[in-house]
Amino acid sequence: MKRQSDDHALAALMQAAQAGDAQAYVQLLKEIAPRLRQIIRRQHCFVKAEDIEDLVQDILLSLHAVRASYDPQRPFMPWLMAITRNRLVDAARRYGRRAAHEVQVENVSVTFSDEGANIDSDGYRDPEALRQAIEDLSPAQRAAIEMLKLREMSLKEAAAARGTSIGALKVSVHRAMAALRKALIKES
Amino acid sequence: MTVDTEKLIERMGAAVEPVRPLARPWIRTAAWLLVAIPYVALVVSVVSPRADLISKASEWRYMIEQFAALATGITAATAAFATIIPGYDRKFLFVPALPLAIWLVSLGEGCVQDWVRLGPDELSLQPDWFCFPAIILVGAVPAIAIAVMLRRGAPLTPHLTTAVGGLAAAGLGNFGLRLFHSQDASLMVLVWQVGTVFILTAMAAWAGQYLLNWRSIVGTDRRSVLIR
Repeated sequence: MKRQSDDHALAALMQAAQAGDAQAYVQLLKEIAPRLRQIIRRQHCFVKAEDIEDLVQDILLSLHAVRASYDPQRPFMPWLMAITRNRLVDAARRYGRRAAHEVQVENVSVTFSDEGANIDSDGYRDPEALRQAIEDLSPAQRAAIEMLKLREMSLKEAAAARGTSIGALKVSVHRAMAALRKALIKES
Repeated sequence: MTVDTEKLIERMGAAVEPVRPLARPWIRTAAWLLVAIPYVALVVSVVSPRADLISKASEWRYMIEQFAALATGITAATAAFATIIPGYDRKFLFVPALPLAIWLVSLGEGCVQDWVRLGPDELSLQPDWFCFPAIILVGAVPAIAIAVMLRRGAPLTPHLTTAVGGLAAAGLGNFGLRLFHSQDASLMVLVWQVGTVFILTAMAAWAGQYLLNWRSIVGTDRRSVLIR
């Protein structure tokens, strides 16, 4: 009975979201995110915490993309579960493919004696410092780094998204990289 | 909740726009037929209907086969529209099996009767290459229309969905073909026409991964959400 009324509540939120109600949509997503996390944890106990978050976000974005396929006359949870199952199967397939092509190597404790081989990127292993350095960039440079380096968008896509030229974006990312390098060397 | 997921939810909330829920599969099938049938009628009238069409209408075998081809197309379209709705009953996929079985049994029975009547020497298989391009021509607009309509749903089973969608368009294409192509020998119809329908269905199944995939559907929305 509780489950049924719960489903009614979620269905009502989804219906409002389909009508463009942002508040109802956020509430719905906040309601279902912990449930998705729980489902993933239960079904894929081997998945790491950060991968669980990736999967939750992937499912939420999938739901967003196909929200028109929800029929307001039907229960909400079976609809959500069908998307969840499908995305989890896809993720498992991706994971299997990656694992099949990955070669496990032991951490090598020494590098080549040649100085050029010993790149100094090992010093930048402080994610907090990196996050701070990105925060300190100018908005244009931060957007360029976010889109091209973190979201791995192509130059064309990122230029279209920002409404700028590819050349300007290249300049932004080059300057941002220089600024990050400077900030992180100072930090270390 | 982690900061990233919370931030994503806020951005998704900001990006949400009103969407019209997809209609039920049979209503979408009716909408598809509104596009497909006039196009098939147009092609048949342009190519010019077969001269013996009126007399063929009184032949029960011809009528059963035409009815079965049309019903296969319509039920396959409904099944395809059902497969893109998460949580929908997968039993819908078996619905086209009935008219398809009637179609194949009727043609098979015709082959046996021809074999008994004419003997194995007279029952020959002539090349009829016209069927393949003709079915593609008649099924082209129905195929494009159904592909566009299927892309509005969830790509849960891309290969299966496009296979059934392809069967719908090819079934309708074959229905149209027999309104202007005077080839009624059961063996010829079975091999060249139904064979073409199955080849087109297989090609549609293969194209599923390119036509319907989460990457393209989510990718577009991901960008619109993330750049906000």
